[in-house]
Amino acid sequence: MSASLAKAVSASSDKWEVQVRKGCLELAILAVLWQGRLYGLEILRRLEDGSALIVPEGTVYPLLSRLKAEGLLASEWVEADAGHPRKYYKLTASGRRRALQMAEFWSTFSSNLDDLLAPLRLVPPRKEDR
Amino acid sequence: MAEVNLGQNNLAQNSLAQNSLAQKKINKYLQDLTAALRTLPSEQASDIVEELRSHIVDKVAVSGDMTPAAVDSALAALGRPEDLASLYLTDDLQLRALASRSPLLILRSLFRWASLSFAGFFVLISSLLGYFLSGALIACALLRPIHPLTAGLWLIPNAEDYEISLRLGFGSVPPGGRDLLGWWIVPIGLAVGFGLFFLTARFGLWSIRRLRRARRIGAH
Repeated sequence: MSASLAKAVSASSDKWEVQVRKGCLELAILAVLWQGRLYGLEILRRLEDGSALIVPEGTVYPLLSRLKAEGLLASEWVEADAGHPRKYYKLTASGRRRALQMAEFWSTFSSNLDDLLAPLRLVPPRKEDR
Repeated sequence: MAEVNLGQNNLAQNSLAQNSLAQKKINKYLQDLTAALRTLPSEQASDIVEELRSHIVDKVAVSGDMTPAAVDSALAALGRPEDLASLYLTDDLQLRALASRSPLLILRSLFRWASLSFAGFFVLISSLLGYFLSGALIACALLRPIHPLTAGLWLIPNAEDYEISLRLGFGSVPPGGRDLLGWWIVPIGLAVGFGLFFLTARFGLWSIRRLRRARRIGAH
């Protein structure tokens, strides 16, 4: 494999990972809000702690705003001890329904994909292709 | 004793200066963001700006004191204010376009996409062409009663071949030209014009939905 091709392949697999992460972000946000209201920075922390979702902060706030515009989230400003108000988000009824749908889809999808991946796991890691 | 006090004062003044520089950086960032969000209703824009102010202040508080360096790193994590605003505006315009179907909103939304992707650019150009052609057909049909001799679809001989020209009837009869549709331009122009208008709107909305879905999956 030429160096440039190897580079292209590695770049495209990076891109794939970015896409997978981004695609899961919406579900992950709905999931962290399942148990109650959180503000933006708390949502970010939960996402970072609880998953391998490396989230650019600048994308989460517009996404929250879109989910709100779509009626999946509601928000309210709450005075905090910190001395400044914080904007809390919580799931609406339709947000809860959507989260359940997405979770169900995800479970089926990932277990099917896992079955497909089973043969790959028999291959010892780091062995050269022949 | 006096010297020690002086030293402490200096230290306090220094940290005060640091604090105010840090505040200035935050304000500058949020001003730039406000400016970039100016097309949103002001209530919505200030809601966004206040949310991000609260985020930045919390973020800086975690790292300790309000220092310019701490603010810089919090702002860097958010990205440039223009890019951040662009994410908000793109989503907002698309939702409004999908809700209203107004050609103006569709075009504005597509115009924003055109600056982000090649597919968006292609859709924008096609939509502009579609709206333009449908507008011209409808105008031609409506102007026919006012310019009965000149408005219509004309076949005009050129040096070597013919050209087909949709004329609104301003100006004179083209020499050697043949009016292809006659009065049929009125029903045909209206039907095709409105049909094309409808199709262009459908195409635009369909593309916006596709682009939204693609972006949700991650392709930017």
